[in-house]
Amino acid sequence: MTARGFWPALPALLLLFIFFLFPVVRMLGFSLEGGSLDWYAKALGEGLYLRVFWNTFEIALLVTFFCLILGYPLGFLMATTTPLWATVGFIFVLLPLWTSVLVRTYAWMVLLGRNGVFNRLLIDSGVTEDPLPLLHNFTGVMIGMVHVLLPYMVLPVYGAVRRLDPAIVAAAEGLGASTWRIFWRIYLPLTLNGIFAGAVIVFVLSLGFYITPALLGGGRVIMIAVLIEQQVRETLNWPFAAALSAVLLAATFAVYSLAQRFTRPQEAT
Amino acid sequence: MDTRKLNRRQAVSLLGGAAALGAAGPAFGQAEPAKPAQIVVNHSGGSMGTAMRKAFFAGFEKKYGIRVVETSPADFGKLRAMVESGNVEWDITEIGGQDAIRATKLGLVEKIDGKIVDRSKYPEKVRTDFVFASSVYTTIIGYRTDVFKNGTQPKSWADWWDVKKFPGARSMRNHPTDNLEFALIADGVPMDKIYPIDFDRAFKKLDQIKPAVTVWWSTGQQPAQLLLDKEVVLATGWNGRFYDIIKKGAPVAIEWNEGALKQGSFVIPKGAKNPYWANKMLAEMSVPQQQAVYATELGYPGLNLESLKYVDDKVKPYLPTQYIDKQFWIDDAWYAENGTKAIELWNAWMLKKA
Repeated sequence: MTARGFWPALPALLLLFIFFLFPVVRMLGFSLEGGSLDWYAKALGEGLYLRVFWNTFEIALLVTFFCLILGYPLGFLMATTTPLWATVGFIFVLLPLWTSVLVRTYAWMVLLGRNGVFNRLLIDSGVTEDPLPLLHNFTGVMIGMVHVLLPYMVLPVYGAVRRLDPAIVAAAEGLGASTWRIFWRIYLPLTLNGIFAGAVIVFVLSLGFYITPALLGGGRVIMIAVLIEQQVRETLNWPFAAALSAVLLAATFAVYSLAQRFTRPQEAT
Repeated sequence: MDTRKLNRRQAVSLLGGAAALGAAGPAFGQAEPAKPAQIVVNHSGGSMGTAMRKAFFAGFEKKYGIRVVETSPADFGKLRAMVESGNVEWDITEIGGQDAIRATKLGLVEKIDGKIVDRSKYPEKVRTDFVFASSVYTTIIGYRTDVFKNGTQPKSWADWWDVKKFPGARSMRNHPTDNLEFALIADGVPMDKIYPIDFDRAFKKLDQIKPAVTVWWSTGQQPAQLLLDKEVVLATGWNGRFYDIIKKGAPVAIEWNEGALKQGSFVIPKGAKNPYWANKMLAEMSVPQQQAVYATELGYPGLNLESLKYVDDKVKPYLPTQYIDKQFWIDDAWYAENGTKAIELWNAWMLKKA
């Protein structure tokens, strides 16, 4: 880092230090209250908390997977279609992003309920006789979370596809490569950066989800954020809350570095 | 009041007040503290805030010319953080029953000034030094009247557990409080013998009802909404939330039998900026006529026993104080001791595959 580059970045660095790094370090301090590792032993030793950690990662992985298979084609399409359609696509992707998560979660409750819009449509059209269980279970949580997080996948993919030099694709076409082969050998490797960025954002954001699983999961889908919140607000056991948060943080870093090593993002062009 | 934490306006008004008092000399001790521009009341928000404004805040503002700023929600963690960091934003705050006991033990709250707040018409047991009992509410059964017609609804927790005789999807709170008690009552424990709670027995009984509960609710508005949408036909919930939709004509009614009574509580956080005016606010909240306004709005009667005199007869059937004999009080003291254990067991039970 040169001195010239350093000064303009100073305010942001200070901000990050004061409002992010310092609180995180303090939180770690909390979790080591009295110099003992007891709270970590509890977080990692008791079946309940391990189960919930596992659930949380499982949900985050599934959400990332669904966001990827839905978001990649959408981002790809937006990057390759006409500017008009791209704008339309952007409006549809960004509009939900500007709406409160709580409002969107309640909207899903109206749509997915036993007497909700979807089930009434399905029953009226004779597809099913009994309403499908779409809400207050795992399915509801998946739908809600994927909807909230989809833009974070679409936008990096869009960026990656836009950066790709069309000449390469034209060359491949000229040399007689099939569409599938072009996708597999050119698009996919060269947009891996975007996929990776999107997947990491979606995954990490999923880990901290709280309100959507609580409302759409009918109370049965428990993620670690719910337990941390209980420890902070209800039982006032802040050292334990800090230990749980630290474990989550460490696990997130581990997954992140693993994914980075695994994908080995390649240089574009 | 800690002078280091005065803001500029308060400092100026205090100085002005002191100068004026200086002339009066010996009267200094009895004088009313200078009026702040505003006081902050923290409560659970929603329709409760609207009702409090109508019943208490509007009158307070008119009487003293002090603006009442409202914040929400009630948050025990935040209260502790405020008091411990010495940055207390709230002058009074709502607080859960068991949290009030723990806050008192932790020294997070100021003593209520008996000279300002008159609680002589309150039941003896709620006149505690540090906690102001603001209202009574109860967790009871709400049911769809188009499903359970002409009084065929479940009338006890034993009925609630009887899914053959009373079929249909149910909703209960995602929390051990209330549910452990209901399970024990359903299992035959008399209402006055619930505490101390036998966890094993309660959870074993809860195992039986788990498959019939389609939604474990986490916010107070959920049970009313679930009944409205016919997502469930039976729901436990706070009486005021059901009262609200019944008032608006929903096909929903309340079964009061064996409900779990609780008191709503307010406290003055330790180090509050305007303790005198906080006490004045609590005084306003203990006026029976004002409590009657509040009860009529929300269905949560105050604990000034005279307030019922000012409530319309049409509203009375929706107030839990009318049914106290058929219900039981949640033991906040027991939860202050055993709440953490109860929550851990509850989480573990929730994760168990049913």
